[in-house]
Amino acid sequence: MTRQEIEALLPFLANGTLEGEELREVEAAVAGDSVLAQELAALTAMREGMQSELAAGPGELGLARLMRDVEGQPPKVANLPEAPSSWSRVWQAAAVIVFFALAVQSFYLWQSDTPGYQLAGDEAVVSGPVLVVAFDPGATEADIRALLLDLELEIVGGPSALGLYRLAVFNPDALDAVRAALGAATIVESVTDE
Amino acid sequence: MNDTLSPLLPRVAKGDKAALAELYRALETPLYRFIYSRLNDPHESADLLHDVFMEVWRVADRFEGRSKVTTWVFGIAYRKVIDRFRKASKVDLPGEMPENIDENANTEASLLAAQEAGHVRHCIGELSEEHRAAISLAFYQDMSYGQIAEVTNVPEGTIKTRIYHAKKLLMRCLGGRVDRGAMA
Repeated sequence: MTRQEIEALLPFLANGTLEGEELREVEAAVAGDSVLAQELAALTAMREGMQSELAAGPGELGLARLMRDVEGQPPKVANLPEAPSSWSRVWQAAAVIVFFALAVQSFYLWQSDTPGYQLAGDEAVVSGPVLVVAFDPGATEADIRALLLDLELEIVGGPSALGLYRLAVFNPDALDAVRAALGAATIVESVTDE
Repeated sequence: MNDTLSPLLPRVAKGDKAALAELYRALETPLYRFIYSRLNDPHESADLLHDVFMEVWRVADRFEGRSKVTTWVFGIAYRKVIDRFRKASKVDLPGEMPENIDENANTEASLLAAQEAGHVRHCIGELSEEHRAAISLAFYQDMSYGQIAEVTNVPEGTIKTRIYHAKKLLMRCLGGRVDRGAMA
């Protein structure tokens, strides 16, 4: 160990966090060098002086302020179950069925030549395959974005009131692989073909 | 720096305010001391301490248990202090180092001055932000260089270098205070 390395570790000898070989080596160096010993004494005095200085924090008042302010801001996963509950699964399954029923109904309406109307906020028409996905409620936007980029997916609809997204698959040849990858992703709770 | 606090964070992540209060009571004083040592303003320090715990409340679910809870929370405090300085345009260049450090600082005079809190406070105040953070964490919080590296998110070697330079500057400053007969 060079002298500079020993000097760099002196503050950690002073605060008692050095261990093992480093501790033995620095202690030995200090024992044989009066300048290092004086530096260590100065650093020890400095540390003791700093720790004895009173710097009282806001205490219980600060805690009361904190408790007041967290009332309106639940943590990101507050009140969310560790895993989706059985009721959650039932609702998601029901949502997928309703979604399909609506899709089939829309298809027949489209097949008929009856003039109809189109909602301004209608979902995008996609020529390629589309998957319907429910994400874990705890998934962050960054998690979802990363997954979509990785699998080359694009959100073309949703989230619905039940949290379902329609995802367009850019590469139809990779549909099976994409479906499998979504199924394996921890942030995805369900995936079905549209 | 024990880690009896680690069971608290999963509870905080689930919205347990009692766990947050427990964490606050355990870390308030050391965190406040650290923040105050950087900002030197009690009101601003109390506000930033509040911001730190609000952040803990919001992101507790991101704690992966790879570091101690204390280190993780200090990391949040460290970044918030840096942000505060950036907003106030007070941040120094990382690792900034004056070129004219006196390698032969008077260690006897430094030792004398180190026993006067006023001298120490003055000289720490003269350090760059990076140097001051490293010294504060080492001496106020008794952190190892490994823990300081985690808090500040830099390699351990960088922390050793910062501490080495900070120590040199402190010794020189303290020695100079005594030589000039400065009042604390």
